[in-house]
Amino acid sequence: MADKKKKQKDLKKPKSSSGAAKVSGKNSSLQSYINNHLKVSKLSFKEQTDRPFSTLLTCSVIGIALVLPTLLLILLTNVSAANIDWEGSAKITLFLDQNTTALEAGTLSQSIAKHNSVANTAFIDKDRALEEFRSQFELGDVVQFLDRNPLPHAIIVTPADTLEEVRQIELLMEELETLELVESGLLDALWVQRLQSITSFLEKAVLLIALMLAIAVLLILGNTIRLAIENRKEEIAVLKLVGGTTPFVCRPFLYMGVLYGLGGSVIATVLTAIIIAILNTPIEELARSYQSTFELSGLDFESTLLLILFGTGLGWLGAWLAVRRHLDEIEPT
Amino acid sequence: MIQFTNVDKRYEDGYEALSNVSLNMNRGEMAFLTGHSGAGKSTLLKLIMLMERVSKGRLVVGGQDLNTIRKRQIPYFRRHIGVVFQNHRLLFDRTVFDNVALPLEVAGSNPRETGKRVRAALDKVGLLSKEKLNPFQLSGGEQQRIGIARAVVNKPPVLLADEPTGNLDPALSEEIMKLFAAFNQVGVTVLIASHDLELISQMDHRVIEINKGRILHSSGKH
Repeated sequence: MADKKKKQKDLKKPKSSSGAAKVSGKNSSLQSYINNHLKVSKLSFKEQTDRPFSTLLTCSVIGIALVLPTLLLILLTNVSAANIDWEGSAKITLFLDQNTTALEAGTLSQSIAKHNSVANTAFIDKDRALEEFRSQFELGDVVQFLDRNPLPHAIIVTPADTLEEVRQIELLMEELETLELVESGLLDALWVQRLQSITSFLEKAVLLIALMLAIAVLLILGNTIRLAIENRKEEIAVLKLVGGTTPFVCRPFLYMGVLYGLGGSVIATVLTAIIIAILNTPIEELARSYQSTFELSGLDFESTLLLILFGTGLGWLGAWLAVRRHLDEIEPT
Repeated sequence: MIQFTNVDKRYEDGYEALSNVSLNMNRGEMAFLTGHSGAGKSTLLKLIMLMERVSKGRLVVGGQDLNTIRKRQIPYFRRHIGVVFQNHRLLFDRTVFDNVALPLEVAGSNPRETGKRVRAALDKVGLLSKEKLNPFQLSGGEQQRIGIARAVVNKPPVLLADEPTGNLDPALSEEIMKLFAAFNQVGVTVLIASHDLELISQMDHRVIEINKGRILHSSGKH
């Protein structure tokens, strides 16, 4: 054992002047690790800018693949944001018992207004309702053939802002329906519900599309990196022969992937901004016709950063997968 | 330094490249490995380099049992072995300097140290003035000397060469062999596969003859 140890020492540090290279001390090994990263990243950058056309092509493919889910996500966020505003207009109409007097109804209206989940209430007298009905509809004249007012007293309840989901408003309505004088309730929120179903459907669709496009980006990058590995086969073999570790040999390709991903996501950011700007003109016109000032809000700083991080991460992952798959196949012969 | 004990090397297709090879080389020794092409010279060198693994028997290099070495340890092991190839395997997309610097770079040497060592190695092979050139601008003999400079730049205790003079004329071949002998002079263990018998006989070093995967005899200076 001792003999073996001595021999191992021999291998590392023979006595003669031809001693094995004293590689480096602990401090300088971190330094040289950082140096290598700097050098490799610079080289990778240079390599890609040396072939501007093919680099731009690869980055553009990645960029376009990233734009589609980004735009869908932006649309979705905008719609959801608008959704919350619209919910404020989901109102509950409570129809009261036919025998309820106007006085009782008024008192009930006031007491419901004090409920925590209620913003305000409006009492609609059945006589006034009939009058309105008569004046607003052409068929209003039929009313005079009725022997008595068929309309009940009604209370219109506006839910508090704290109720954001239709389900919560439904629960409030169910609670109010149990009140003694209330005959039935009507929630005018079907369209809000529909919008919410559509939104949640779109959310899933966007996620799936994003997932597929992310896989596409991985495949594109994987193939690009595979070609790069193929082109540098001899270099990889020589590096392995002179004692290059796997991380060392992988590094240039990982940087390549990161740079492609970075370039692609920057292109995606710019494209998204351009597309939003183009779309906003017709959207604003459309909104104006609805007396709305709605406009698409594009990527804010945070989302831009997220997009770039995501794209770069995807680049790294694509390269890593390719390197893992192909680098081991290259052994020096 | 290098110890083969009853080593067999059988490839997957059943071809037996080496059978029952036992061989011992001491530290600081220089030896030639001769034999016809296909006799197993390259295979023997590849086993030492861990480019191939032993099928049977035991191989110990510098106290390291190569049968048990793990894959991730291989790069670190290779840093202690310099190799010279017949086709020198230089990279033509970079300068002479960068080619010679490769073994230092993979080991994480700092730039100043690298510069010093690379120039020392180039100086030893007499090509210091060519450091900024691309290898394809050099002659065959010069390219081979660059290959040698790369093999010795991190001062490995073991130096292997596979037909290093295979593509060179006799005068250049002799020059290359003398270069190897000079490294051996300063303590490096040198093993050279070559079938240039005439040149080998001039060198006065141990000769190991191998045929059909077996060692025929091992003679000369020990």
